Amino acid sequence: MKKIFQPKITMQWQKGNFHHRFRSTSTFHFAFYFPHNFFRLQKELMNLMMSAEKGISAFPDGENIFKWVGTITGPDDTVYTGQTYRLSLEFASSYPYSAPTVKFITPCFHPNVDLSGSICLDILKDKWSALYDVRTILLSIQSLLAEPNNESPLNSQASQMWPNQIEYKKYLEAFYEKNKDK
Amino acid sequence: MDIDVVLDKVGRIFPILNDGVLVSVSDDEVRNLSQELQQTLDIAENIYESVFLEIKTLLSEKYVPQFWKHLMKCELRTTEEEKLKTHFINFQESILNLEDIFIKFSEIVRRTSVFKQSLPDSNQWFSSEQEKLNEILRTILLSQIPPHFNDVVYSFYSISFKVFANGHQSEVEGEDEDDSTELIDLKCKGCEREQDNCRCQELVCAFNKTNESLSNLGLLDRLAGHTLTSLIQDRICTFVKDKCSGNFEKSHFAFLEKWLKCVVINWLTRIFNKGHLKIDESNDKLKELIKNFEIKLKFYIYEIYGNVIIDQFFSIIIDYPDSIPAINDLQICLRSIDLRKYLIRSLKETLEKRLLHPGVNTMDILTAYVAAIKAIRHLDNSGIILETVTEPVKEYLKRRHDTIRKVVTGLTEEGPTDLNEELAKGEINENTDKTKNELSYWENWQPDPVDATPMLNPAKNTRTADIISMVVDIYGSKDLFVSEYRNLLADRLLTQLDFVPDKEIRNLELLKLRFGENLLHNCEVMLKDISESKRINSHIQSDINYIDSKSWEMSSLIISAQFWPVFNKESLELPEEINNEFIKYKTAYESYKGNRTLCWREVTGRVNIEIEIGSKTLDMSVTPSQAVIIWHFQDKTEWTLEDLSDVMKVPSSVLRKRIVFWQTQGLIKEKSHDVYTLIEEDKAAINELNETSKNDTVMEDEESESAMASLNDQREEELQVFWSYIVGMLTNLDSLTLERIHQMLKMFASNGPTTGSLGELQEFLQKKVKQHELVFMGGVYHLPK
Repeated sequence: MKKIFQPKITMQWQKGNFHHRFRSTSTFHFAFYFPHNFFRLQKELMNLMMSAEKGISAFPDGENIFKWVGTITGPDDTVYTGQTYRLSLEFASSYPYSAPTVKFITPCFHPNVDLSGSICLDILKDKWSALYDVRTILLSIQSLLAEPNNESPLNSQASQMWPNQIEYKKYLEAFYEKNKDK
Repeated sequence: MDIDVVLDKVGRIFPILNDGVLVSVSDDEVRNLSQELQQTLDIAENIYESVFLEIKTLLSEKYVPQFWKHLMKCELRTTEEEKLKTHFINFQESILNLEDIFIKFSEIVRRTSVFKQSLPDSNQWFSSEQEKLNEILRTILLSQIPPHFNDVVYSFYSISFKVFANGHQSEVEGEDEDDSTELIDLKCKGCEREQDNCRCQELVCAFNKTNESLSNLGLLDRLAGHTLTSLIQDRICTFVKDKCSGNFEKSHFAFLEKWLKCVVINWLTRIFNKGHLKIDESNDKLKELIKNFEIKLKFYIYEIYGNVIIDQFFSIIIDYPDSIPAINDLQICLRSIDLRKYLIRSLKETLEKRLLHPGVNTMDILTAYVAAIKAIRHLDNSGIILETVTEPVKEYLKRRHDTIRKVVTGLTEEGPTDLNEELAKGEINENTDKTKNELSYWENWQPDPVDATPMLNPAKNTRTADIISMVVDIYGSKDLFVSEYRNLLADRLLTQLDFVPDKEIRNLELLKLRFGENLLHNCEVMLKDISESKRINSHIQSDINYIDSKSWEMSSLIISAQFWPVFNKESLELPEEINNEFIKYKTAYESYKGNRTLCWREVTGRVNIEIEIGSKTLDMSVTPSQAVIIWHFQDKTEWTLEDLSDVMKVPSSVLRKRIVFWQTQGLIKEKSHDVYTLIEEDKAAINELNETSKNDTVMEDEESESAMASLNDQREEELQVFWSYIVGMLTNLDSLTLERIHQMLKMFASNGPTTGSLGELQEFLQKKVKQHELVFMGGVYHLPK
């Protein structure tokens, strides 16, 4: 599905303040022309926009709703503080029953991120559950920055440097400055 | 033959040649003389010539200067009235004198014609000598015409017209002329003398005689024609203005035409027909003349009357439909005379001057607008005048912020605009019918007048649309009206808890016909909610478990959040005891409805409370916030504003407003700044006296506060939703063009409120740029670093 037209649908996503009334209107028939996960993604986007969580953000890249660009900022009181990383999120048609493919666009020097941007994170692999969403993924990645899992490193250099935080920070900053605009 | 005898004879026959006296001479004598002269001296031709020469000299050097001198005498008289009178007399006398001379000359001229008949070779210059004389008189008279001559003629005829019109007044106006004025005013209206020695009759006689003389002289048209026309036009003008302005409730045409016929035409007939009203059967020329006059004057009346109506068209609009006769009259005028341009210009100007300024109420403008639509449509069915004239009104109404609300109020409540009535009529123009008619009656098709603006959209919506569509069209969309109606309806439903739905249902059905079912679907649900709530309510009230547990009567209004407009954001924390009751009700509802539950909106509603203070009790119906305030005072008699706001979870500014209610009730007072105490019994008793009077006003204030978020607030909130989307996309995609943002919003923010137009978005973004929340550079927007 290349292009997605805006459907005119009056569905009740939000938990309203009042008892809901369900009423079938003719506009609902449109719903069947869209992949089932279209609405889920749209709802996720809305929740994300509304929650305005600090430090994480994501938005469809413009072509369609199955490809998003995310932004996370480094968590406070870590070596990553003040740095901003771009990520790409791609949702398969089986989403939310399979995890989206998440990669760093901005090169990231981190024990669990390889040079092509792939991330080693359990919830993106075997621990994935349909209950997770874009927001939780981004939050998890953000906290991964603060607490790397040094037992399964993708970047051995980073993993080795991690214990010496001062040294690590120095190297990281140089790396970030060099690569941030890539 | 003795020359002296001959000359003596000639002098006897033509006395002007030797200043002799005119004596009667027989035609034979003239004929003899002429033959005699011709045969003996061959000077008959010369005699003939010299008679005319002498007449010419006499006229140009003596009589005509005399005539003019007499006529123009008394220029220096002071008062206008006296001047008029002297003019009248002078004119009359001069004309009579002139006639005398004329008669004298006529006799001589008659003799010349006899004289000439006997001549053998008479080369005829003129068909008759009489005509020659007329020609000479006219030439000489007009060649010496003095500058102010027309004034004299004007005075003469105006006096006579006055007398004549006065005489025929009763004839025109019928019996309704009241006698009282005549009794007080002892002067005769015609000649302005006391009734006892009225000279009207005398004047009429003199007038008729003068006219006859003029007519005999063949000077009537030459001397008086021009002046006569302008006098009659003047008189018509004053008469029409006098009789027809300010009175639109009856048609004046019949009256005006009667007046024209009875007074003006009869008067003219008398002038031209030597004082007689009856025209000879044979006198076709005169008949033609009078007829031409009548047609010309009729058109003149149309024009004047049309102008009079147009000048007062604004009042006519306001008085519609009482003023229909005047509009009909104007329609007749427009058919014969092209006043359309003047009408449009003058009406536009008046509307702008009288309506379109800040001092006028929106409701009044609307009322006038509706009346204008009706009145102008009555006048001109094609709608072109309407379109041009009401354009500025529409533009102006668009700029007024309360227009929509006023229109909706007008539609749903009875008021001066009649919109409600129009709605009830429920006539919607069927466009399909229209085109069909046009096709089958193509022969009746009329092109637009040249001054009409060319139509941009061929669907003739504005021209043929009915009044409600015209009003709704001010904004160009129905949505705004429908959402305003929804807000009004919600307010009404929430504030009038004992409300009878029949009227609203009727209104809604009518609106549905007008705006279509889809747009008003929400409102339908709202009304249905009300009756549904009643049903559920009575069911819960009969639930035994609930009856056992409840400590007071409680009823609820259950509304569907999706279909009602957004509420404003007021909140209120209920005291424990009250909240428990709410929970009980909720439980009862849950057990009745299975999977559903209730979310309470505590702020909206009505509480009947009984306050016992000291020895007396007060029964009141108040808003929940007010009830909660007084509730808190029963445990603790003194509260600071801050504490109370903490307990109630109401912002202190709002809370202060609410407390004012109890202050006016005399139950709470502000001891010191922001500290409130309960007033003890005795003071309450004193204040009780004031209570009843204050009660009403304050309660009304409270009620008028809407529970709904205003339209502006709603839009603001919607835009805020967009803003978070825009921030989201700019955070992740760096920079975007306006079009891209608009497109993305349409694609991804479809759950949210309706996306506005590109222009609206641009305006919004520019606002954000001004607030430094956004940067616009090189055609793209991005967030500030």
